[in-house]
Amino acid sequence: MSGGRSGEETPPEGIDWAEIHRRMEAVRTAINRGPGTGEKKDILKMRARALAKEPDAPQPGQRSDVLEFLLAHERYGIEFSYVREVWPLKDLTAVPCTPPFVLGVINVRGQILSVVDLKKFLDLPEKGLGDLNKVIVLESAPGSNGMEFCVLADLVLGVRSVPLEGLQRSMPTLAGAGEEFFKGVTREGLILLDAGRVLRDRRMVVNDEVF
Amino acid sequence: MKWFANLATRTKLFLGFGLVLVILASVIITAYSGFTSIQRSQDALYRKDFIPALDMGKILSDQNRTRADIEEVMLTKDNAKQQAIEQDIKSRAEEISRLINIYSVNSQFENDPNVLSKMDELRSVTDDYKKTRDEQFALIRAGNVEGARKLSVGIQEQRYDRIRGLASQVMNIETKRAQDRVAASGAMAGKMVFFFILAGLAAFALSIAAAFVLNRMISNPLREIAGAAEKMSGGDLSVNLSVEDRKDEVGALSKSFGKMITYLQDMAGKAGRIAGNDLTVSANPLSPKDILGNSFADMVRNLRRMNREVMDSVTVLASSAGEILASTTEVAASVTETATSVNETTTTVEEVKQTAQVSTQKAKQVSEAARKALQVSQMGERAVDETIEKMAGIRLQMESIAQRIVELSEQSQAIGEIIGAVNDLAEQSNLLAVNASIEAAKAGEHGKGFTVVAQEVKSLSEQSKQATAQVRSILNDIQKATSAAVLATEQGAKTVAEGVKQSAQSGEAIKTLAGSIAEAAQAATQIAASSQQQLIGMEQVISAMNSIRLASEQNVTGTKQTETAAQALNELGQKLKLLMAQYKI
Repeated sequence: MSGGRSGEETPPEGIDWAEIHRRMEAVRTAINRGPGTGEKKDILKMRARALAKEPDAPQPGQRSDVLEFLLAHERYGIEFSYVREVWPLKDLTAVPCTPPFVLGVINVRGQILSVVDLKKFLDLPEKGLGDLNKVIVLESAPGSNGMEFCVLADLVLGVRSVPLEGLQRSMPTLAGAGEEFFKGVTREGLILLDAGRVLRDRRMVVNDEVF
Repeated sequence: MKWFANLATRTKLFLGFGLVLVILASVIITAYSGFTSIQRSQDALYRKDFIPALDMGKILSDQNRTRADIEEVMLTKDNAKQQAIEQDIKSRAEEISRLINIYSVNSQFENDPNVLSKMDELRSVTDDYKKTRDEQFALIRAGNVEGARKLSVGIQEQRYDRIRGLASQVMNIETKRAQDRVAASGAMAGKMVFFFILAGLAAFALSIAAAFVLNRMISNPLREIAGAAEKMSGGDLSVNLSVEDRKDEVGALSKSFGKMITYLQDMAGKAGRIAGNDLTVSANPLSPKDILGNSFADMVRNLRRMNREVMDSVTVLASSAGEILASTTEVAASVTETATSVNETTTTVEEVKQTAQVSTQKAKQVSEAARKALQVSQMGERAVDETIEKMAGIRLQMESIAQRIVELSEQSQAIGEIIGAVNDLAEQSNLLAVNASIEAAKAGEHGKGFTVVAQEVKSLSEQSKQATAQVRSILNDIQKATSAAVLATEQGAKTVAEGVKQSAQSGEAIKTLAGSIAEAAQAATQIAASSQQQLIGMEQVISAMNSIRLASEQNVTGTKQTETAAQALNELGQKLKLLMAQYKI
């Protein structure tokens, strides 16, 4: 019993309730206060510093803006001219009697568009669908046959401007099934897709009859 | 004298005493005849002389009285008195005539004629006196007193004198005769006395002679034998009896006595030989009734047997004495060792006593400690009860904690949902930024500024996503922590339940312990009491050990004495053996 009493007085293994109460109080006040003015200032300063950086000097030569996205751990890019918009993969409806690369159809602002999985097309390893999957709405340039559909992207990385010169055409990694859809690979390792060819490809037109 | 000596002692006694008896008989006869004649003389004296003299006196007195009565009659005038006196006179006259008649008989006075004639005369005179007296009475009655007196003075007085004279004469004669007779008796008595003296002297002389003779003949030899017997009774057998050859009882006694002396001397000789350790003596009893001889033979036989047995016994005794000596020596050694051991034991017991004292103190201390422990255990019991109560409180609080933690977890879930929504928003913002960039690019040169804004929006959305990811990871941590807390609380609750159980068990244990301690306290008290008694007992043991020590010291002394005694006994046995070897069997 005396040991128990001494344990309360000197806490070798006991609980320092005063410390706990102090810490709880500190947490409560921190939550109530929110981020301090100093922290806000720091954030704002950091952001301003980032913005104040000189943008990279525009490289000589012809450049093109591309949408960069991840597809089976590889970074791919599609020229803006073929991109209408990006859309979250929501309410995918599977359509029967379609080739395996056609995942289904979705509703984009009242327009029903089919969703194509380029991984199947390009013989890339499967990853599975998730909430973070996005679809990129492709559209042909005006005046063409006007084909519109969505391709699946594992993750949309952002917008990038890539030089069209210096694209490497012949790469051992590019040899494969969808070689005709690749424009080239940039020095950063971004694979530039030829969206026009994809849109023009005959296989994209599905006309399957099922009896 | 030889013939007298040969006579039987009875005969001798008869002869001696018979002579004396003859003399005594003659004396008795003589005395008898003498006394008879004296008696006769006395009788005659009384009857023939004394009584007649008295009667004569009586006649005289009666006559006197008659004369006086007549005078009295003449004097008195009373007729009745006259008649009474007359009557008296008549009776006196009859008495007188009766006496005269008695003595008128011849045989009365030994035929003395003188006396008889006087008596006859006296009768006639009295008769005359009687007649005249009657006449006087008649005259008196007739009133002629004077005539009567004349007669009295005259004739009657003469007659009266005559009567008196006659009676006096007879009386004197008889008196004279009585005197004669007394003198004759005295002479006879004197003769008889002389004869008695003579006879007594003769008997005395004869008796002395007989006693002397008998003494010489009987008493002397007997005295000699008695002397010999006296000597023999004193153990002196060297007696020589001069035996006289006599045929009476004394001779037989002397002979038998001599034979007895010889016999006894023979026996004494044999006894002497036996006394001289010679047991080869042959005692031949004279007859089956020879008690001494038979006893002597038995004694010799028994002595031989006994001697042999004693010899055997002495041999055994000697060897036993040797063994006893050896044993006693060992015992002496042992007793010395025992004394040493007893001393050591006494010391040990003293130490044990001190130990007992210490144990008594310890038992008291234990008793005290047990009492305190009992109090402590009661406190412990109360503490355990309180602990159980507190444990129940802790369990309640643990449940409350678990509840709170679950609530916290649920609130983190809500936060997670919020964070999901935020993440969704960020994602959408990102998409919006991308789309804005696309739109800006399509706008060409005019959309350049918008491109920057789109870039900024995209950056914000990225930061939001990062923040939500951080929040989610923190929420995961919180979830893990709350799960751990719930687990810990559950564990704690279980531990508390276990603790309650343990406390209950502890309470039981403490109760049991309290009971045990109470028993221990009681036991300690009993131990204290027992130790006290043990202490007393040890003191008694110490005193006993002291007594034993004294006893063992005495034992040592005693055993030494016993050893000496055993040595003496051994020597005695050897001596006895030597002694027994001296006997010739």
